[in-house]
Amino acid sequence: MSKPLLTLLATACALALPALAHSRPLTLTAQLKNYGGDGAYLAAYLTDAKGAYVRTLWVAGGKAKYHKHLSDWSRLSAGDAKRLNGVTGASVGAGRTLKVTADLADALLDAGYEIRIDAAAEDMRDSPSEVRIPLSTANAGKPQAGKQYIQSATFQLQ
Amino acid sequence: MSWKAIHRWLGLTIGTLAVVLGLTGAILAIDPVQQAWQAPAAPDGLPVATLVERVARTVPGAEEIRRLPSGAIVVFSFAGDQPQASYVDPANGQVLGAWQASALPRWVKNLHRSLLLGDAGRWGAAGIALTMGVLCVSALVLLLRRMGGWRRLAARVRGTLAQRIHVVAGRVVLAILCLTSLTALTMSASTLGLVALDTRAEPEVLSVVTGQPDLPGAQLATLQRLAVQDLRKLTFPGTTDPEDTWKVATAQGQGWIDRTSGQMLAWQDAPLAQRIYDLAVVLHTGEAAWPWAVVLGLVGASVLLFWGSGVVIWWQARRQAPHITGNTPLAQADVLIFVASEGGSTWGFAQTLQDALSQGGHRVHTSALENFRTTAATRQVFVLAATYGEGQAPAHASHALEHIAKLGASAVPVTVLGFGDRQYPTFCAFAVALDQTLRAQGWPALLPLECIHQQSGQQFARWGVALAQALGKPLVLEHVPRVPPTVALTLVARQDYPGADGPATAILRFAWPAQGPGARLRGQGLARFAAGDLVGIVPPGSAVPRYYSLASGWEDGFLEICVRQMPGGLCSTHLLGLQKGDSVAAFIRPNPGFALPRTRRPVLLIGAGTGVAPLAGFIRRNDRQRPMHLYFGGRDPARDFYFGPEMQRWLGEGRLTTLQTAFSRVPEGGGYVQDALRRDADRVRGLVAQGAIVRVCGSRAMAQGVAETLDEVLAPLQLRVAALKARERYAEDVF
Repeated sequence: MSKPLLTLLATACALALPALAHSRPLTLTAQLKNYGGDGAYLAAYLTDAKGAYVRTLWVAGGKAKYHKHLSDWSRLSAGDAKRLNGVTGASVGAGRTLKVTADLADALLDAGYEIRIDAAAEDMRDSPSEVRIPLSTANAGKPQAGKQYIQSATFQLQ
Repeated sequence: MSWKAIHRWLGLTIGTLAVVLGLTGAILAIDPVQQAWQAPAAPDGLPVATLVERVARTVPGAEEIRRLPSGAIVVFSFAGDQPQASYVDPANGQVLGAWQASALPRWVKNLHRSLLLGDAGRWGAAGIALTMGVLCVSALVLLLRRMGGWRRLAARVRGTLAQRIHVVAGRVVLAILCLTSLTALTMSASTLGLVALDTRAEPEVLSVVTGQPDLPGAQLATLQRLAVQDLRKLTFPGTTDPEDTWKVATAQGQGWIDRTSGQMLAWQDAPLAQRIYDLAVVLHTGEAAWPWAVVLGLVGASVLLFWGSGVVIWWQARRQAPHITGNTPLAQADVLIFVASEGGSTWGFAQTLQDALSQGGHRVHTSALENFRTTAATRQVFVLAATYGEGQAPAHASHALEHIAKLGASAVPVTVLGFGDRQYPTFCAFAVALDQTLRAQGWPALLPLECIHQQSGQQFARWGVALAQALGKPLVLEHVPRVPPTVALTLVARQDYPGADGPATAILRFAWPAQGPGARLRGQGLARFAAGDLVGIVPPGSAVPRYYSLASGWEDGFLEICVRQMPGGLCSTHLLGLQKGDSVAAFIRPNPGFALPRTRRPVLLIGAGTGVAPLAGFIRRNDRQRPMHLYFGGRDPARDFYFGPEMQRWLGEGRLTTLQTAFSRVPEGGGYVQDALRRDADRVRGLVAQGAIVRVCGSRAMAQGVAETLDEVLAPLQLRVAALKARERYAEDVF
């Protein structure tokens, strides 16, 4: 069995069995800049210490034809058939804020995991890995600036 | 539902929204034009590698090069934290200025594609595009029907101003509008997720980290072979990720290139759906070629023109449509009246009949002939049928005969009343056919077939007497035709041509009252007219207008007619009795088939008696001195050479090229106008061979004689009058 697949399996178990492994809710907030374009497509996802895809947290923007513009997420998550299950919403307008919550296994904290957000807007430039926030206890609550679309992105643990 | 009904109702309802899409589309067409103007395209054959080298020199931190469909080059980069997008001159890499996706506010595009209503609006816009497609298809069917087939598609368009605008503009832009709807639907299908353009995942490819330095873009073999005009997008490998690759996209597909070895690591061909989509976008937006964008913009704006003229056409048709008052529902009516009418006047007779029968206690239902049927309550049926053209049914009742032939007869009497004109060889032919079919089917009749000549009220009243006797009830049919609103014309001059005993003919010149532009827009006051149109005069003591051909146009500033005393004629007696300052009630009736087309071709005018009036009007307005040749037939130059002195002046001014006269009642007068034509056979043939337009005005007998003579004269050319008529080169105005 290949290594990324093992990791995926392990994480899936960690996520699917919250009763066995300790988990807690994570809130991710992304405040968008006034970039002067149509609603942005955003994909928030987790990568592990090696940069391999773990899980999709949220995808804002429902038209599959534009998902390839979230290029890192689109490429990395290609093997995950359930990547859109229950984690999609509308695109996020310029100046608006995206706020999503997800259950997070404690084991993923301070273990080299990263929250990444890809962003894109129509007629504008794709911004893969617009923001990368290392998933550490110390980073919780610390805003991070994005490259083009995101004013600040923060995660909170409860 | 007929094509016409589909076209009309879709156009009036959803067409209103199509106007919004058309106008926003026209505005969006500004973008491609502006972008083409802002930045130059790459020279032919410039390799992408060279462009990369130039860009690397002038734009530090370049991350992506895009070639816009217009050919302009845009480079994306970061200046510190600030993302930048700039036009670059591909010839030298020079930065030309900042790039923006669109110079227009975003709501314009969102209004165009989703009516500002999000996804629901996108479905709506797609529905409008589909409607537009149906409107185009129905328009083509109606256009072919109206013009008489593909071959006659380019022929002259007749009708009111709104109809001409609608049809002429439709001929020009129909194909492009249809293409625009089709491409819109293609784009909608993928946006709404009905068609997946590319479902494949991007390949998992990484540059191999060897410790060697990156190969500069200019040295990548793939980019050296690729011309800039084939490029869509080139993404540079990221500076922080040593495994990142170059990514190149063209119309054919996309590829990933190793940053150190320069090897193509993977290539994906663009799927067919993607290519079709790309083509649809280019055709719909015009972004690849600004002249096409200009065309699309004009076509988009034309939707407003179609909608506006369409609404006017519908409104005019509605106003002219028959309004039967006091109609009983079909199931309760004991008397049914079915009408086949071409111009609408037969509906007026039906109303008179309906009113008279209703007064006699009957419950009457009046409907169009195509709805012919009887019910259990029906006791009497009347069919009022006009004949169109050469004995055909009026258009709306074209299938009525077949329909009736399929129905089984019942014991209810069906009486046919025909309307027509005895001067036509096929007098009331449709009514006759209808009557024969009904009798053959076994329907009884209350009264035998009667044919009313020239909408004669007296004849209609006599038929009413017969009807009253047959029904055994008193019944009076007093028909008052509907007359359009009239204007009081004032006589300003008259020129008399005395007959053998007293004044017999006069050329009367009238003035019309001043009218403001507001009144004109509302359709009040005297309509604009040209020589050859008709003026309807309503004499006092009568409700029936008489029509006279106009010898002048609106531009002449006066309205002129030539009136001959008819024995016992109410209207001609009244007109010839007018003194200067007296006025008459009049309205204009257009006669578009007789007007001269605007070409430089020669014109052959043939007129007899007062029939010369419209021809004189043509000559008077011949400011451009196109060759006009007049053949005039009269009785005696001393008595009825109408417009004689003017003709001489017009000859001198070059408005009239030649004048041939024939007078039948004087020795050596030259006989009839037909004789003059026969004498000049060679010359007449020559003119017709040059493509001359022919206009004939006079009595029906004279027109018949002229047509027969011309058939003889033109025989050597293998041409007949009927063929000239079909090509709209020959028209008659007869009385």
